Amino acid sequence: MSIGLQHVGIRFRAGVEALRDVTLEIGRGEFVAVVGPSGCGKSTLLSAIANLLDPADCEVVGGILVDGAAPGTKSRRELNLGYVFQRDALLPWQTIEQNVQLGLVIRGVEPGVRRERSRAMLDMAGLTGFERYYPHQVSGGMRQRAALMRTLAYDPQVILMDEPFGALDAQNRMLLQSELLRIWQASPRTILFVTHDLAEAIVLAQRVVVLSRRPGAVKAVYDIALPYPRDAFALRGSAEFGRLETTIWQALRDEFRATLPDAVVA
Amino acid sequence: MNRTWSLALRRAALIAAIFALWELVTGGFGLDLVLTSPAILARPSSAIAELGPYAASGQLGRDLSTTLIEAMVGLVLGILGGAALGLTLGYWRRASELIEPVLVSLNSLPRIAVAPILLPWLGLGIASKIALSFFTVFFVVFFNTYLGVRSVEPELVKAVQVMGGDRMHLARFVVLPSVFTWIFAALRTSVSFALTGAVVGEFVGASAGLGYRLNIAAGLLDTKRVYLILLILMVFAVTLVEIAKRVEARLLRWRPSAVLAG
Repeated sequence: MSIGLQHVGIRFRAGVEALRDVTLEIGRGEFVAVVGPSGCGKSTLLSAIANLLDPADCEVVGGILVDGAAPGTKSRRELNLGYVFQRDALLPWQTIEQNVQLGLVIRGVEPGVRRERSRAMLDMAGLTGFERYYPHQVSGGMRQRAALMRTLAYDPQVILMDEPFGALDAQNRMLLQSELLRIWQASPRTILFVTHDLAEAIVLAQRVVVLSRRPGAVKAVYDIALPYPRDAFALRGSAEFGRLETTIWQALRDEFRATLPDAVVA
Repeated sequence: MNRTWSLALRRAALIAAIFALWELVTGGFGLDLVLTSPAILARPSSAIAELGPYAASGQLGRDLSTTLIEAMVGLVLGILGGAALGLTLGYWRRASELIEPVLVSLNSLPRIAVAPILLPWLGLGIASKIALSFFTVFFVVFFNTYLGVRSVEPELVKAVQVMGGDRMHLARFVVLPSVFTWIFAALRTSVSFALTGAVVGEFVGASAGLGYRLNIAAGLLDTKRVYLILLILMVFAVTLVEIAKRVEARLLRWRPSAVLAG
């Protein structure tokens, strides 16, 4: 499934203009990352695509098409979107296993199939043995992995990821990046990945979109010509990675600079 | 020795020391050290000795069961009623805006103050005590439920919506579990409120119950009986609250605090 954004603008009723004139085409099976300073409307963009914005709070102009359909014109089950939140958004009163099965329960998948599927997902995420644990009983990295598996379990064709690894420590972040790469390389689906971590964007995505500070607009788009399969660890040491990071940082720096005191950004 | 056991022992020792001191200043241990009149402060040993005649007369069993039934029926009805109204108003914003001043006014009323009017309405039997008990529990549960509906984590709602969940799924997976958390968190308070309602209701007018017996004993200056009933009420309340604590820890075992307590 593809995502098409045509001159999308979002303005909150309270007066804040979150996004202005964002045009972007994301092809089927493509992995695109969006970077930009905090508050530039990255998350709002994902919410708009997933039709999670309250029309009472904000006004959306321009065209958003997911698989050719405008938000709200197709049922969510038909759209089959995946959304991974910054905080895991696991149900605290359900076990890891129940959480992973949630999308399948909503889809009315029968218990036997559900169990088998969640077992495979938990196995893939290295969570076997933690099925009966509650979210608070496992580490942040495990929770986020479970959240990712919960999304993958119902096999969505588009996955929106809102700084999913932002709350993790550096080691866990890299581990999860590797896992996400592995999963995507094994079966490519359309992924729109929002992050404030430029290195993460380069390591993962085929294209990196730089958004300007608020109101967020597309400042530049970079093709990341690093071949897959990628290694999230090894890549960071490569010359090509360094060159890309420097180039994109040039564009990003000005946007960050405007949001911070001068002395902070060199 | 295990830390928990050592603490339990030290606590038991403190309670024993309090009773020993009390026994001492009321002329116990054969020392005749009486600091106050026995009409004001009964000696614990003689108060506990009252248990024999009280139980033998058959009144103890009747009083205990009466108060227990009043408190428990009031508790259950209060939880059901409070939860029902809390859920309704939590969802139905228009109605909650309209009814809010009424509820706030009723809630600001000291619960016990309505006891005298319940008597002519519902009589001397257990109905008037159940009503007072219900009234005290109802508001605690109502406000907790109402807050529970209002403070549902928006991200959890979104997560279920994105997956294609409808209103039923939202209620089942997000809203009700979240509201139950708030209701059970109020369970301990509700239990002691229910008991207070029952006992105070009995003060105002009754024909049986611990509160009724306490009131009569106080009127007759039967200090030993008064202290005995106070001790019984204390044991009674501690037991009920302890049961509530266990129920809460069991039902909310997915919560960090519940695990620590369990």
